[in-house]
Amino acid sequence: MPDNETTLIQKAQKGDHDAFAALVDEHQRYIYNLALRVVKDENEALDLTQETFVRAWTALPNFKGQSQLRTWLYRIVTNLCYNRLPALRRSLTDFGDDVMEDIPENNLTLGNPSHDFESNETRSYLHHAIEELDENYRLLINLRYQNELSYEEIASTLNLPLGTVKTGIFRAKAQLRNALATLEDSWTTT
Amino acid sequence: MDNHLTPQQQDLLIEDALKTFPLAPMPRSITPNVMARIQTNTRPAIVTLNDFALSLVIAVCIGAILFALQNLPAVAVMEFRKQSILLVQGFLVNARWLVPSMMFGLASLFVALTIPYLGRQLMK
Repeated sequence: MPDNETTLIQKAQKGDHDAFAALVDEHQRYIYNLALRVVKDENEALDLTQETFVRAWTALPNFKGQSQLRTWLYRIVTNLCYNRLPALRRSLTDFGDDVMEDIPENNLTLGNPSHDFESNETRSYLHHAIEELDENYRLLINLRYQNELSYEEIASTLNLPLGTVKTGIFRAKAQLRNALATLEDSWTTT
Repeated sequence: MDNHLTPQQQDLLIEDALKTFPLAPMPRSITPNVMARIQTNTRPAIVTLNDFALSLVIAVCIGAILFALQNLPAVAVMEFRKQSILLVQGFLVNARWLVPSMMFGLASLFVALTIPYLGRQLMK
């Protein structure tokens, strides 16, 4: 946690509104983004973001700094999402933890300039496929890749076993692989 | 030309798409709304005025009961004890089944009270 943020948190815990406003400015985009990816509705996501910070203000004196503030905020917004979408929590726990492996996360080095255009097209297609994933997968993917949480942090945030988180992300990627296969089929048929 | 990607290329493309998936822009800042709400929603104090009022009422009730018990005439106290003993004996002699039945009823009631909570948990 940056020193500046620690100072802001301490001030906000003592009731400093300006310090809290700075924290809201800093984190609102990520909280909004997470809410939007789950509920897929702009106004609802704004409501959830606002409610997250109001609850954070109320509970801030109890924040001991054992986790990062952003992780704590993600936990609040996720709980609010659970309230809005009661099936979300169950669908996450239903993953189980049978798949512990994961796709190795390498940097993209396809190594052929002729693939650039195709890659951009494929990337856009996959971005669309990510948006079309189920809400439980979108939540996991968002926490992992956009909010850059580790698997352990996601498990802690969502209060799920580590294996369940890994299984969920593995299955989300499997769905993206299927989407990519469909795209490949369209290449071969055209 | 074979357009099929190798599994490694597929994985790389997926990883790339996940890492480049853009953050959605915020339509507007919510800071003013949040600050307006927290100005009105003050943090709850550890002990509120309601807690004091409730404590006072409970203390007065307990005090009144103790005061009444201390000031009952001796005859009334004896009558009270006699009636209590008779009531217990009456139960033991005439309604041995009543206490277990009441216990069973209470247990059933408490179990029934958990149903809404369990229902909510199952719906999650």
